[in-house]
Amino acid sequence: MIRYDNVYKAFDAPVLLGVTLAVEPGETVAVVGHSGTGKSVLLKTTIGLIAPDFGQVWVGGEPVVGASRRALARIRRRVGYVFQNAALFDSLTVFENVAHGLPEEELRRLPRRELVRRVAEALEHVNLEPRQVLRKLPAELSGGMRKRVGLARAIVGRPQVLLYDEPVTGLDPVNADVVHGLIAQLARDLRATSVLVTHDVEGALPIVDRVALLDRGRIRFVGTPDEWRRSDDPLVRAFQERRLGRALQRAS
Amino acid sequence: MGAEALARPLAAVGRTAEAVAEHAGQIAGLLGRSLALLLRGRLSAREVLRQIDVIGVQSLPIVLVTASLAGVVTSQQGGYQFTGSVPLYVLGSVVTSSVVLELGPILTAIVLIGRVGARITAELGTMRVSEQLDALASLGRDPVRALVAPRIVAGVLAVPLLVGLADLTGILAGMWAARHTLGLGPESFLYGARLFWHNWDLFYSLLKGTVFGGLIPLLAAHMGLRTRGGAEGVGRATTAAVVLMTLTVLVVDALFPPLLLN
Repeated sequence: MIRYDNVYKAFDAPVLLGVTLAVEPGETVAVVGHSGTGKSVLLKTTIGLIAPDFGQVWVGGEPVVGASRRALARIRRRVGYVFQNAALFDSLTVFENVAHGLPEEELRRLPRRELVRRVAEALEHVNLEPRQVLRKLPAELSGGMRKRVGLARAIVGRPQVLLYDEPVTGLDPVNADVVHGLIAQLARDLRATSVLVTHDVEGALPIVDRVALLDRGRIRFVGTPDEWRRSDDPLVRAFQERRLGRALQRAS
Repeated sequence: MGAEALARPLAAVGRTAEAVAEHAGQIAGLLGRSLALLLRGRLSAREVLRQIDVIGVQSLPIVLVTASLAGVVTSQQGGYQFTGSVPLYVLGSVVTSSVVLELGPILTAIVLIGRVGARITAELGTMRVSEQLDALASLGRDPVRALVAPRIVAGVLAVPLLVGLADLTGILAGMWAARHTLGLGPESFLYGARLFWHNWDLFYSLLKGTVFGGLIPLLAAHMGLRTRGGAEGVGRATTAAVVLMTLTVLVVDALFPPLLLN
């Protein structure tokens, strides 16, 4: 469903140095790694928000790199993207934000009543009470609620692929568990292929099929949660033991 | 040692030239894309009208106040210089020409740079650093189509009208000042104004308005889309945009007389 083939990207310094990873249809994969290792950059290459310097990304058999504007729009319509800080449009209400998750043609075509129903359904899916939030602006919501509105916007168009960029960063452990639960539920309900970029490996393990560890621009480990737990890779162990700092020192 | 001393300034010139070329290329791309969207009828008329309200209607009070003061000051300074040496009715021509050819368009542009241009850069810059532009793109929307092109089209349509109203207000304010401070009646003022009037001058003034009206949102949007680095980055981009817009408008303004007044 999603394939990263030898993806390179450099800004001021190299970030991705030949990432190759395949995510099967319906699978949920967590991409983990320390800060600045290019996890979010990799996620953004999936829908062409960042163009790799070299390599190709495939979504549902369609190439993303070099895709025409129209082809890219078609790919993006099949993908729901949840941003790190929700990235809600701050001048629009929750209703308008979630409605923007629908394709433009559908938004124009849908009768108002049906549009409200679709938005309310998406909000209920992420455990938000539509009547309480529909008319609110993002600034009037808590961090956890904003994340959930971001999730609702990503799923209202019933995407085949869901991409999550640090979905629990900045949330307390209770809200983080709620969001992780929602991610698992959405993957089941929508039968979506999901890629989850996160620092919270322990929180993500119960809800993912595989874990990929990105280190210094390359995939260093890919495996199931069980393989992750059994791995004797020093960096994987460090993540398990939350001793990332020392492991990085050793690795460098 | 000598070669190194020469290499440094050359490298600086090279870097500057590269940055200018990069900006120019991106601005040309943004303009081309906006024109293509306009020609293909892909812009929302509702959004263009909303932007005409923001750029044109909401700017009207400050533009008219600025134009009135410019007319009053030009009239009084001209009167001070002419008294006893040049027939006072010539003041009508001086005020009219100054306002129509230069002060109306340039002061309107300067006001719009502060009021509209800075706002566009700050708005798009904030959207860039908070990933709202990425979110828009991820939803299959084109940020140029949704946020940039309607502003450019609105500027091109609204600013010439603003300039026309600024011209009229500046002349009327100058006429009022001439009557109350110099004792020059409206008939004599208008006689002087008609004496050296060319219809071309009005077209020239409105054309300046059209060009500035397109340039200000274009440059402001370009700087907003390039913003990096959080709140500080938005502040930096907005300041840089105001400097860029002001310099560009002044340079383009200086190109008008040799190109169109010969």
